[in-house]
Amino acid sequence: MSRFVIVTAMALGLALGVVGSAQAADSKQVFDFYCAQCHGVNGDGKGINVTKDFATDPRNFTVTADMEKRSDEDIRGVIKDGGPSISKSPLMPPWGATLSAAEVDGLLAYIRTMCKCKGK
Amino acid sequence: MRLLAVTVSLGAALLVMATAPSYAAGGDAIFKKSCASCHYTDGPAKEKTISDQLAKKGPELFYAGSKFKKDWLAAWLQNPKPIRPMKYNSLSEVNKGDHPKMSAGDAAAVTDFLMGLTSPEVKAGVIKPAESAQAKAIFGKKMPCTGCHEYSVKGEVHGGKSGPSLVGAGKRLNPDWVYAYLANIKVFKPVRDMPDFASVLNPKDLENVAAYIATFE
Ligand code: HEC
Ligand code: HEC
Ligand code: HEC
Repeated sequence: MSRFVIVTAMALGLALGVVGSAQAADSKQVFDFYCAQCHGVNGDGKGINVTKDFATDPRNFTVTADMEKRSDEDIRGVIKDGGPSISKSPLMPPWGATLSAAEVDGLLAYIRTMCKCKGK
Repeated sequence: MRLLAVTVSLGAALLVMATAPSYAAGGDAIFKKSCASCHYTDGPAKEKTISDQLAKKGPELFYAGSKFKKDWLAAWLQNPKPIRPMKYNSLSEVNKGDHPKMSAGDAAAVTDFLMGLTSPEVKAGVIKPAESAQAKAIFGKKMPCTGCHEYSVKGEVHGGKSGPSLVGAGKRLNPDWVYAYLANIKVFKPVRDMPDFASVLNPKDLENVAAYIATFE
């Protein structure tokens, strides 16, 4: 009996693990496609659009101290409505009409793995 | 007599069909042979996911006749200079400018074929080239356009690299298409790394921006 429970729990865990990583893979694809052009594939703010003309550096998501100041709600909001929605640079575009709510949630989770931080 | 008239007009119709569209059919055939491996010309847009977009080897051309100016197209096919600073669908490799080149004759035939591919979404003859303070502010300050697009100031190129360069856009793009693209982007490109601005800018702003891009040298 206990053996059965353990096996079931393991199978369930495995299944959950698979679902979890599939989601992470999707969010990486979404990030690489829409965000990496400015924020860089590693989230360090060094995307190919950041030339000498680029007036404000895109946020470096790997700086824990900066990113932990942002609540999850702030991050979702700035992704949907763009920089000016939180009095930041308009070079951060509004993606609300382009991305689904699930994609925005996935991006938030992905950014949290880059900063290794939680929102306050 | 009646029969004769019918026969004659039928004959004339056949003759017209055999002569006029055969030119276009030639362009069609050349396109199928040399170009269709990288470009599709049957709309509507097929991409549903990011993977669909990344699998494409070249931009879709099903609305090419509404998007491009004819003279530019015929010249570019003979001497294709890079439009996108980066290789298509890449954020790391630069565009090497290795697009296939065509002879003047083939380019003319294919241009006729492509200019026949128009979109009902594009109203012709509405947007005229014009600079305005509003459009300049939107393009250069209020919106992130310059973050992803190159543009030229007195011959000096500025701006980002992920989007197609807008240097020379006045010669290349039909301003009516630019307006339709900004107003209803999903019809042309359902999956693309440019945001949908139609809910952020009102139709008048979009018109002004399209008219402004039409002045780009
Ligand atoms: C055109 C370039 C560009 C693109 C594309 C872009 N960003 Fe940004 N982003 C910026 C810039 C610039 C800033 C910094 C704004 C500032 O500090 O004033 C920024 C800031 C941010 C911030 C931090 C805001 C804060 O609280 O400081 C988040 C979160 C963010 N971007 C997420 C994203 C996501 C997710 C995507 C992809 C869907 C994305 N960005 C795409 C340019 C861009
Ligand atoms: C190996 C793939 C490939 C083949 C074959 C090819 N093209 Fe292209 N085509 C591309 C790519 C990639 C671009 C984008 C080039 C750039 O941005 O500079 C492009 C751009 C274009 C454009 C401009 C489209 C836009 O939206 O900017 C036209 C028009 C075009 N090609 C026509 C043709 C024709 C006509 C042929 C046949 C002779 C052809 N192509 C063959 C890959 C291809
Ligand atoms: C985050 C980057 C980004 C931003 C911001 C952006 N664009 Fe784009 N734009 C692109 C990309 C990428 C394409 C090409 C999409 C494709 O072909 O798949 C494009 C295509 C275009 C085209 C068509 C060009 C052609 O040759 O096909 C026009 C016109 C244009 N953008 C205008 C604008 C304007 C106006 C703004 C500001 C309101 C803007 N863009 C903001 C990335 C961007």
